[in-house]
Amino acid sequence: MTKPNGVQHSDAMTTAWQFTEKVPHGRDLGMQVVSVDQGQVCMRLTPQSWMFAQEDRKEICTSVLYSLADSAGGLAVFAGALELMPIATLDMRMDYLRPASGHQALLAEATCRHLTDEVAFIHCDILNEGNRELLATANATFMRNTQGQQFNAGGRGKERA
Amino acid sequence: MSTTGDSEQHISGAAESAEECADWQALLARIPYARHLGLEVQQGDAGVVVHLPCREALIGNFMLPALHGGVLGALIELTARVAAQSRDTETRCPRILDSHINYLRSAKDRSTFASADIVRQGRRSSLIQVTCWQSERSKPIASGLVQLLLPTMAAQQEDLHEH
Repeated sequence: MTKPNGVQHSDAMTTAWQFTEKVPHGRDLGMQVVSVDQGQVCMRLTPQSWMFAQEDRKEICTSVLYSLADSAGGLAVFAGALELMPIATLDMRMDYLRPASGHQALLAEATCRHLTDEVAFIHCDILNEGNRELLATANATFMRNTQGQQFNAGGRGKERA
Repeated sequence: MSTTGDSEQHISGAAESAEECADWQALLARIPYARHLGLEVQQGDAGVVVHLPCREALIGNFMLPALHGGVLGALIELTARVAAQSRDTETRCPRILDSHINYLRSAKDRSTFASADIVRQGRRSSLIQVTCWQSERSKPIASGLVQLLLPTMAAQQEDLHEH
């Protein structure tokens, strides 16, 4: 496991880590980056009662798992490419194997399976933190080098890519 | 909402549409995460529409800016869930089994809308197609296919014992 300012980290990965933790929707849900290694990342989310799918039972809405997988997937593209570029999700397929109870934190472990100049193929598992029970799996395709603004972890970018 | 499958019901007329809107609103109001996102039901020209008002907490890329892909995922999954539940005669609460979402255009920081088409409503499962758009309905920004499981009476009983 590597830390944001660890010696194993390239500047690009540090920026990707910081950028991911600044995403407003990720902050709203309380997503944290746990680790970024080459082609592999881990993110974590602590369930809250407003994330439930129903009022009368403690079960996290599948869409929260979806958001976590999408964020971890995007970070895994940077971790696979070891560089920053604007990316866009082309598609994502989620399978919800078990209900997420809300008693344990959720982990997303995303891997960059294959990278071409244009496309990144990502797999992501969503697990319970304690017993590592597999809750959901995701397969996503990201477009690389899309038109957009250059990376700037500090806030809005000014220059066109 | 339009029907493309083998469902028997056919919705027509303003009164029925208003009733359907109220049904959807009531079902959405019971989902804590839907309340957090601020989802609301509107009467569209061609059926019920779910509206997601834009706010800062929904942004996924602050440089563009663009909505988070997971926010569109939530709009699609929750619209599918409410569509399947409202169409079920016993209004059983469906469990989402899987979803496959294609992103078609960039999602800008503005209001987003979703409508559902029932591909098939069966006794045990339901397949719902959801389309999302922003400024123009003819220019969808995302499209999703959601498979839901409708709990059988036996599973519901088991559930009661568990909780």
